[in-house]
Amino acid sequence: MTSATFPTSEPKPSWSRYFSFNTDAKVIGIQYIVLAFFYFLIGGLLAMIIRGELITPASDLVDRTVYNGIYTMHGTVMLFLFIFPVLNGLNNLLIPTMIGAPDMAFPRLNAVAFWLVPIFGTLLIASFFVPGGPANSGWWSYPPVSIQNPLGHLVSGQGLWLTAVALSGVSSIMGAVNFVTTIIRMRAPGMGWFRMPVFCWTALAAQSLQLIGLPALTGGAVMLLFDLVAGTSFYRPEGGGDPVLYQHFFWFYSHPAVYVIILPVFGIFSELFPVYARKPLFGYVYVALASFIIVGLGLIVWVHHMFPSGVAQWMRNLFMVNTMLISVPTGVKVFAWLGTLWRGKLRLSTPMLFCLGGLFNFVFAGITGVMLATVPVDIHVSNTYFVVGHFHYVIYGAAVMGIFAAIYHWFPKFIGRMPYEGLGKLHFLLTFVGANLNFLPMHPLGLMGMPRRVSSYDPEFAFWNVIASLGAFLLGVSIIPFLLNMISAWVRGPKAPHNPWNAIGLEWLLPSPPPEDNFGEHVPVVIARPYGYGSGLPLVEHQAEREQALTLADKMEASR
Amino acid sequence: MTAPPTKSPGFSPLSIGGLALWVAILVALSLWMGQQAYRWLPVQASTAAPLVDGLFSFETAVGTFVFLGVISVMAWVVLMHRAEKYDETDAVPIEGNTKLEVIWTAIPFILVMAIAYYAIQVNTRLGVLGPMEHIHLANPVEELGGYPADRLPAEQVEVIARQWSWEFRYSGAKVSSTELHLVVDQPVTFRLVSDDVLHGFYIPAFRLKQDVVPGRAINFNLTPTREGRYRLRDSQFSGTWFAANQADVVVENAEAHSAWLKQAASQPLQVGISDAVQEYSKRAKQTNPGWATVPPAPPPQVNVPGSNTLPHDA
Amino acid sequence: MTSAYPSDAPEQLHGAEHPKHNLTGFIIFLCSESVIFLAFFSGYALLKTSALNWLPAGVDGLEWRMPLINSIVLVSSSGTIVLAERAMARGNLWGFRAFWLLTMALGLYFLYGQAVEWSGLKFGFTSGTFGGTFYLLTGFHGLHVATGVGLMTLMLIKSFIPGNYAGGEQGVQATSLFWHFVDVIWIILFVLLYVWQV
Repeated sequence: MTSATFPTSEPKPSWSRYFSFNTDAKVIGIQYIVLAFFYFLIGGLLAMIIRGELITPASDLVDRTVYNGIYTMHGTVMLFLFIFPVLNGLNNLLIPTMIGAPDMAFPRLNAVAFWLVPIFGTLLIASFFVPGGPANSGWWSYPPVSIQNPLGHLVSGQGLWLTAVALSGVSSIMGAVNFVTTIIRMRAPGMGWFRMPVFCWTALAAQSLQLIGLPALTGGAVMLLFDLVAGTSFYRPEGGGDPVLYQHFFWFYSHPAVYVIILPVFGIFSELFPVYARKPLFGYVYVALASFIIVGLGLIVWVHHMFPSGVAQWMRNLFMVNTMLISVPTGVKVFAWLGTLWRGKLRLSTPMLFCLGGLFNFVFAGITGVMLATVPVDIHVSNTYFVVGHFHYVIYGAAVMGIFAAIYHWFPKFIGRMPYEGLGKLHFLLTFVGANLNFLPMHPLGLMGMPRRVSSYDPEFAFWNVIASLGAFLLGVSIIPFLLNMISAWVRGPKAPHNPWNAIGLEWLLPSPPPEDNFGEHVPVVIARPYGYGSGLPLVEHQAEREQALTLADKMEASR
Repeated sequence: MTAPPTKSPGFSPLSIGGLALWVAILVALSLWMGQQAYRWLPVQASTAAPLVDGLFSFETAVGTFVFLGVISVMAWVVLMHRAEKYDETDAVPIEGNTKLEVIWTAIPFILVMAIAYYAIQVNTRLGVLGPMEHIHLANPVEELGGYPADRLPAEQVEVIARQWSWEFRYSGAKVSSTELHLVVDQPVTFRLVSDDVLHGFYIPAFRLKQDVVPGRAINFNLTPTREGRYRLRDSQFSGTWFAANQADVVVENAEAHSAWLKQAASQPLQVGISDAVQEYSKRAKQTNPGWATVPPAPPPQVNVPGSNTLPHDA
Repeated sequence: MTSAYPSDAPEQLHGAEHPKHNLTGFIIFLCSESVIFLAFFSGYALLKTSALNWLPAGVDGLEWRMPLINSIVLVSSSGTIVLAERAMARGNLWGFRAFWLLTMALGLYFLYGQAVEWSGLKFGFTSGTFGGTFYLLTGFHGLHVATGVGLMTLMLIKSFIPGNYAGGEQGVQATSLFWHFVDVIWIILFVLLYVWQV
């Protein structure tokens, strides 16, 4: 092992590669993440309009058709253009580096999958400008209302929506095939299944769900598209079709989709808590395996979104039981994180704060989730703001906070600079307060009987709506320190050493940022389980020499 | 090779006592929250409401305990297990504890199954059935619908959901209205139909909801238990004026109800309530009204339009 | 065949070092693709069993004899593709091309037969759920057959590149797998559409 393992004076790659068809997973990862945040801002703007409308009972800000289009696109943009792409971005950055692979299994497929995102994103945004406006029947697009097409045009907002979602599915499946093949086939020597970081376990679990679930949505959506443009009657009662059939197709994917969203966040928590508590992950094997129990159960609970739809009693009971069971493997993970923190040496840096805040919100969301699983309670609160509160707690309160944690944590590794801690902590504070203010009041609103997706409401709901809207505006503001931090740190932040957090993992045995082929010819041999904090044992063979070379490279980089 | 899990530093009587006290506090708080839960819900106006509220209160209490329990651990570690300012060393290398894993898998499993069992009991009592056209059940299930099994529903009301109005037809008395009138403590069967798209028949005060599916007629039973005026809200997104698709439900005693029916029968058909139609006509006069919309269905012609602007109890 | 810079020829580099990746990825993709057919099958079954009047007016059922012949043709093509692979394994490139071409011909005949059947039908895509599901299922399957023929064409052309198939080729394996997949789907389809006509 020579000290010249890592080139120290490579010419800096041009920033223009981020705008090109580049097949390096680390470039694609950044592309995904930056593009996703661009759409996050659009989705967030739409949210501000929603909360602006809902701060007063009457429909007095925008026309009802506009409101319906806006809330539909808010959900659609946030799901298909923000959360799935940003998670794929993290997958691209983390999976190859964490398992010691030079790249993904299919680099060109990887790039194609990414470039589909701006394509269908543009289609979706373009739908705002067609004569009938964008899709406006909710991100579920339930027929028959979604296929009413008042103007009768072939190119309608709903048609563009369906096309965009279909393309999103193609992109996701490409990604899933890539991620799964990479994890199964390209791990470093010595990295057996139970030496693989939990993030890779949860990614594998999540991507398996994509592979199994997405085609069902595609099938259902194709049939909806034909009903919309070709005059078929799959879901039209007049032609013998069944609107509830669509709901089954839709939810067969869209329920597992929420696990696609939260499983990687579980992975992030599992990676970060050990680092910032300086302690091994408690019960690593159980945490890893629980991911797949969640996959299995996650595929058999979809009818809990349809309890009031018109499904038989035995079905409601069955799906209620299955849904409640998911809390068991999830609980295993939550307790594992607590066990990791217990008697650790906690450091409350920004990534840790986001993880703690995310865990806090997640436990709350889990409890309202069990309430929603309970059929008699769900009959009362389904399709009300109680549900909106629940899922925003999971998505914003837990998943987005977990994603922010990941970004702050791995920013030094992949960008090569340190983010600013003060701005990070401010971002956390505003986010935590804003999210709770925005989404907690939605629970009493739902219990009182305020339906969701309404452009106006009865005056008795005004109080909590005002609070929720104020919280939303605070959330809007919270993005400012984040953006400032990211941009200024990227441009002129302090150079990052190879392991600023003193973390254990293959990615931390690379320079910051890593070279294009990661370890290249010198893939380390893994000799220990992950998260070996406190044991003093090396993770890989010749670790000391590698660390020496990296530290030397850090010094030389810093002096440049 | 990893260090064996170090024994936890012995549970002193003080710490056990402190823990017990804390658990007792959490239990008290949880029970209190369980009681508070009733206040977050509307008045109980049907036989279903106490059952649903009881279940919700139970889950609130249990949930509070779990939430506070987890949060207390988090607060404790954040306060007491912080690294010293310049201490970069690692903590104790505890990798796991199989006994704990078993405990914290088994207890949640039992808890969740207990909740599910309780919920199935409530569900059965509610007897809220979905339509059976789709799923062919071997045995017809007894319709309980929130009333004693020995009493058959006295009243049948057909509910026609449209974009965007609710019409109620009393087949017996041959009366129609856009305001739903029901007799207190008397079971009623609704026949829910939709003329166009999916709607949701939701009365929060009753804690009951059923989607109205076009192409099907769904039977739905309930028994109101409190006189008053309540809201019926469309709960399944149904298009532009979805939010305005609301009607009032008046629960009254039997005499008042027959009087209302009798009076209604003598009224000629007139335009019923449809806020959507009103807004639509105003919209036509605007210069830039927004995006395209399906025009509202004409308001139902009914004997008694009633009102949907009077103050309601829930 | 090594490439100094991974991004130049990733397939080649990975193909040389890890020959199993492409096939692994393709198998994973096929498993996922099967779910979309499963979705269509279950939609068909649900609509059929819950329909009050399944068949449109004037339609008594589906003619099954010609489709049966078509099925035999398609299933045979699975046999010929196996023979083609065997020939390649023995290094017999012209034998491979012959059986490969035969497979393609059989596939094209199947598509022709499907088109003939479609043109003779008395119901359309919009003839209720019966018409919708029939054309959706057979059309989507036909699309896959056409894709298979297209992939085979590509592989046939590649077979003329000298040395391309010297080491046995994943592309041929993957295409063959795809073709068998399309075949199995058809057998299920045939049972659902033509056999289950009660």
